Amino acid sequence: MNTLALGIRRGLIEQGSILRDGKELGANVAGLVIYLMLILWIGGNPAGGGIGMTAFITVGFIAFTVFSAGITTLPMLIAADQEEGALRRLRTLPRGLPVYLTGRATSLVAHIALNSVLILAIGNLAGGLALPSSLYGWATLTWVLLLGTLAVVPVGAMIGALLPSAKTAAAVVSLPTMLLMIASGVMVPMTMMPEPVRWFAQVFPLYWQGHGLRAAFLPSAAAEPGGVWQLGTAAAVMGAWAVAGMVLAPRLLRRAIRT
Amino acid sequence: MSVSGLRMSYGERQVLRGVDLDMRRGETVALLGPNGAGKTTTIEILQGLRRRTAGEVRVLDEDPARGGDAWRARLGTVLQNCHDHPRWQVGTLLAHVAAHYPDPWETGELLEALGLGGRANSRVRDLSGGQRRRLDVALGMVGRPEVLFLDEPTTGFDPEARKEFHELVETLDMTILLTTHDLAEAERLADRVAVLVRGRIEVFGTSRELAAAVQAPCLVRWRDGAEQTDDPSELAWKLHQKYDGPVPDLEIRRPTLEESYLNLVERSAA
Repeated sequence: MNTLALGIRRGLIEQGSILRDGKELGANVAGLVIYLMLILWIGGNPAGGGIGMTAFITVGFIAFTVFSAGITTLPMLIAADQEEGALRRLRTLPRGLPVYLTGRATSLVAHIALNSVLILAIGNLAGGLALPSSLYGWATLTWVLLLGTLAVVPVGAMIGALLPSAKTAAAVVSLPTMLLMIASGVMVPMTMMPEPVRWFAQVFPLYWQGHGLRAAFLPSAAAEPGGVWQLGTAAAVMGAWAVAGMVLAPRLLRRAIRT
Repeated sequence: MSVSGLRMSYGERQVLRGVDLDMRRGETVALLGPNGAGKTTTIEILQGLRRRTAGEVRVLDEDPARGGDAWRARLGTVLQNCHDHPRWQVGTLLAHVAAHYPDPWETGELLEALGLGGRANSRVRDLSGGQRRRLDVALGMVGRPEVLFLDEPTTGFDPEARKEFHELVETLDMTILLTTHDLAEAERLADRVAVLVRGRIEVFGTSRELAAAVQAPCLVRWRDGAEQTDDPSELAWKLHQKYDGPVPDLEIRRPTLEESYLNLVERSAA
């Protein structure tokens, strides 16, 4: 079997084994249940700027799914692979490292895709969420999801390679992730944030991920800080993170994995 | 497999200071030495996972530092202390690892042969310690390797599991290099034993040759004294003459191989 196919199969088996694991599945389902309860209880309220809470919450959940998959889940999985010896084993196999990296990327994309689809389906069926009506809207949704994933995956891989264990990884990333989540307008609308916080958040890809997703779902940019969609800036910031990460991550990973 | 003048330094620290080792096809060699002697470093260099500082190394007619995937496919490794892929099913994991190789064993047969036939659908983390170890062996040999590396395979085993593992290794028909700090294990499994102390091979030979080479002095004890000597027979004869008859409470104790080995380790460390 060729390397790419073997890596993709590895990723799918890995994702399947995570879904069959009671604890992991429970955490995933709990997140979706919280989302469902939020849109049922406060989905009808206005979020400001003429948009409803359902759309706002949905965008926040999808953005956060991508962000946390890359920054929290991925480093924990990589650290666990180091700790448990999966990386050591793969290094001894022919084509082991490329298969491993393809596998990790596949399981991450599968995780993000599955959860995004579930969130959209629940939002649409239970909360009356309006899905993008145009091809342009779907295209925006797709590229923002993809670029947002690319922006955080190398960062997460680096964190995972640097940290000694899955427990440390969880402890180190959870606080900054929480702060960034609050500051980036995925839980609280950005317009309610003080000016310095807005500037701070706009350095990171999470804010732009949310902004780009809102552009796909909402008819108007009235609730955005500038009052207009800034998709070019969104692409530039997420792209910069992706490129910088992809330049740095392989070197760091190779070093961490080789010793 | 041949190694000559192998050196390895991490910065200032010299871990290997000129290791020489050669192995014939089909032979089992034990690399024996105390912790920190450089056993794992040696194996990792032979596997091409670490770059050496100096020396000549050939494994299956290839320099490990340049060995590609085709070369790597001819090697197998049983790792020490692995708890990887805990959520995977046993059969799925073995099939996935097998798919990395061009001509692997049929995984069902291999599981059967290793006594794991009934556990193909179990999750890896639900295996007992001994079963987990047998799975590690299956993963190491599923690619039909010509050379199998076993790095401290029985560390942390209870005596029962250790015995079971030894019996399993004895049935394997391939070139095997194993590291251990347990002399009895080296003696039992290996055709030849190489003693690695402080980055150098001190002795390399069959366990009989090893015993002769590292022989520690015998202890001769009698009613009026005790003496350490390399020639107990000579001393007993002298005592016999001195007492002009039977030596009272004469006792001659030959060192065990274990003591001889420890003696060698201490001598080299001094």
